[in-house]
Amino acid sequence: MKIHFKNILIAFTIGLLSTSCAQDKKTHKSKSDELVLAIGGEPDNGFDPTTGWGQYGSPLFQSTLLKYDKDLKIDKDLATNYSLSDNGLEWEIEIRDSIKFSDGKPLTANDVIFTFRTAKESNSVVDLTNLKKIEKINNHKIKFYLKKRNSTFVYYLATLGIVPRHAYNSDYNENPIGSGPYQMVEWNKGQQLIVKRNPYYYGDKSYFKKLSFLFLSEDAAIAAAKSGDVDVVSVSSTFANNKVDGMKLVNIESVDNRGVVLPYVKNEGENIEGAPIGNDVTSDIAIRKAMNIAVDRKKLVEGVLNGYGTPAYTIADHLPWWNPDTHFKDGRLNEAKSILNEAGWIENKNGIREKNGLKAKFDLYYPSNDQTRQSLSIAFADMMQALGIEIKTKGKSWNVLDQALHANAIMFGLGSYTPLELYNAFSTNTQGQGLKNINYYANPTVDAYFKKALEASSQEEAMEYWKKAQWDGKTGFTYKGDAPIVWLVNIDHLYFVANKLNIGKQKIHPHGHGWPITDQIETWHWED
Amino acid sequence: MAKHIRLKYKLSQRFEGRNPRKHALIVSIAAIVCLFTLVIVGAFVNVEGLDVNFMAKNNPPSFTHIFGTDWLGRDMLIRTLKGLNLSFWIGVLAATLSVIIAVSFSILSSVNKTLDAVVTWLIDLFMGIPHIITLILISFALGGGLKGVVIGVALTHWPMLTRLLRAEVMQIKSMEYIGVSQNMGKSWWWIGTHHILPHLLPQLIVGFILLFPHAILHEAAITFLGFGLSSEQPAIGIILSEAMRYLSSGMWWLAFFPGFSLLIMVFLFDVLGRNLRKLIDPLNGQKL
Repeated sequence: MKIHFKNILIAFTIGLLSTSCAQDKKTHKSKSDELVLAIGGEPDNGFDPTTGWGQYGSPLFQSTLLKYDKDLKIDKDLATNYSLSDNGLEWEIEIRDSIKFSDGKPLTANDVIFTFRTAKESNSVVDLTNLKKIEKINNHKIKFYLKKRNSTFVYYLATLGIVPRHAYNSDYNENPIGSGPYQMVEWNKGQQLIVKRNPYYYGDKSYFKKLSFLFLSEDAAIAAAKSGDVDVVSVSSTFANNKVDGMKLVNIESVDNRGVVLPYVKNEGENIEGAPIGNDVTSDIAIRKAMNIAVDRKKLVEGVLNGYGTPAYTIADHLPWWNPDTHFKDGRLNEAKSILNEAGWIENKNGIREKNGLKAKFDLYYPSNDQTRQSLSIAFADMMQALGIEIKTKGKSWNVLDQALHANAIMFGLGSYTPLELYNAFSTNTQGQGLKNINYYANPTVDAYFKKALEASSQEEAMEYWKKAQWDGKTGFTYKGDAPIVWLVNIDHLYFVANKLNIGKQKIHPHGHGWPITDQIETWHWED
Repeated sequence: MAKHIRLKYKLSQRFEGRNPRKHALIVSIAAIVCLFTLVIVGAFVNVEGLDVNFMAKNNPPSFTHIFGTDWLGRDMLIRTLKGLNLSFWIGVLAATLSVIIAVSFSILSSVNKTLDAVVTWLIDLFMGIPHIITLILISFALGGGLKGVVIGVALTHWPMLTRLLRAEVMQIKSMEYIGVSQNMGKSWWWIGTHHILPHLLPQLIVGFILLFPHAILHEAAITFLGFGLSSEQPAIGIILSEAMRYLSSGMWWLAFFPGFSLLIMVFLFDVLGRNLRKLIDPLNGQKL
């Protein structure tokens, strides 16, 4: 109710705006040094990097010690120099001098130390429990000491935005100050965020002086785009076929994947919060494998995503740590049927398979406000019907899903710039922790590879073990191994972008349709 | 002779045309037949059209798909019929519960002044708040779903009918035969069931029928707003709220036909209720 009213209000406001300033807007558009974006994704927790802001995409207000380059390799950002000791436990980092926050105060080693300490104590998605201590060598040199060797620590250096010690307080998340390309002007929750160029930014000066992010429903955003009030709009594939004058459709590949997570263990009671764990049907590997090869992913891409996507076979298709050997051919219904027959799942007279009196049926939950996941769920359930597996789809709120996700199939989405996600999703140590390893997957061999990958002394060595954890020729967490998840599609991130706006070459996008596009926003400019 | 007969025939025809009771009867029967057809067809329709079929997605209305198809290629006619069927049964359940509450309260209010005051206060309380708000509150508090919707609709739609029935009860209570009955030592329960309830019956039946449109529309409304049935149920409210996302891409048939069908169903119930009132309500029926 609230949301609807809000959207109406915003649409109305935009309507007013467009009538009042439509004329000069249309004429000045391509020369303007202001940009209006409707890409959604308003963060609930505000803009504090120590509690998770910027984990997907760039933090915009803050800057990070390291960053990813266009091929997702690690590059320097705030840091001028970094090195890892031979035992893999000590990181030494030198930062640029004479860097200033947007309030004009200098950024020093103290701020870096403060940021990592705060993040470690916040117990948020930023998990720094492996960080033992941080030492200041001088004003521009810091040393991180780790408890155990961990090759993924570098990804924290690349995603955690540095916050100022002098200006950090309880409402920092609403008034962020940082050393990033832009600084906050105003945030009207639920409506818009206005930012302006940070005059002290050390990088290339951004072309645009002011950015406005509107938080609109998709309908309202497209209406705004059609009236020429917005320069960048994120759209789902449903709306991609709309024509918007003066705008082009930009199609960015992503690892924002969707798949059906299947409970890996048999029904084994409840966790401490009373949520049931395990499912007798999906714990059977024959069921999981059969579904994996029976599903026709190309058809889903064409049908549900209108072609704006790619088939997904693993959690990390085409990322640097992806193992190409995990690829397999799908849409093989007959083979899937024979797998089930061999495993003793025989079709009864209603067309549903049974094994020892157990019917091959389970519930598939999806968040009810997500139309793409709903369509995927319904289409997937429909495809599995031909296989003799009965899947009932249920659209619920995330609160209900949190209770249901250990014992039922879930239409899930992941996709991240760090291989740590593999560990989070498939390690025995993360079973049932929040949204990590929700299906209680466990494989000692995979765990051993994870340990080696985390303790690897170089990224190359780590990559090798990340790949082996997926499939080492005998086992792994992808289809050829235990097949705990039926990955379905990678969703292309679609945006309508003003014709003359150059948004540069985008990296492959992570989970989250919105902020990732702003990653290189300081390089955006109008073309002549 | 022939002339005479013709005249007689004409007379009766004219008379027939103007007989409001007969007219009401015919209209009522027609409405009942229409509604039953809707329900029966909805219950037994072939559900194959609900299968996902990407080859036939986003089709505008045609002869193969009269109501068109949605973004998964499901036939909108079958979805609509299923939705109306569900709406009907929710309407039955909610209206029955409402009527039971209304009858109990109106008889309770006849017991003594205190209870009457309590009932009147409750009526005023519920009528003071807009239906849809109470409905959302109750449905939300009960966790939504079928249970939330049915209980929510039942708990919000009784006051109007209760007020009507209470007035009727007050009137009947002041009748002499009630006084006689009391003097003869009959209990209030006996009087209630033997003297009062039979008089309430016409009001009750008409009230029950006229509750339907409200119940169905409110069910669709709160489901549309996301506080009612969950999205895998084939309810009209769900269909309409889903269709909202596709309206701006020009798929008008997703919302138009289901919405129009819902209106027709509600209209049929309204017609039925009004005509039944003409037939069985002693007060209104004789006025015509």
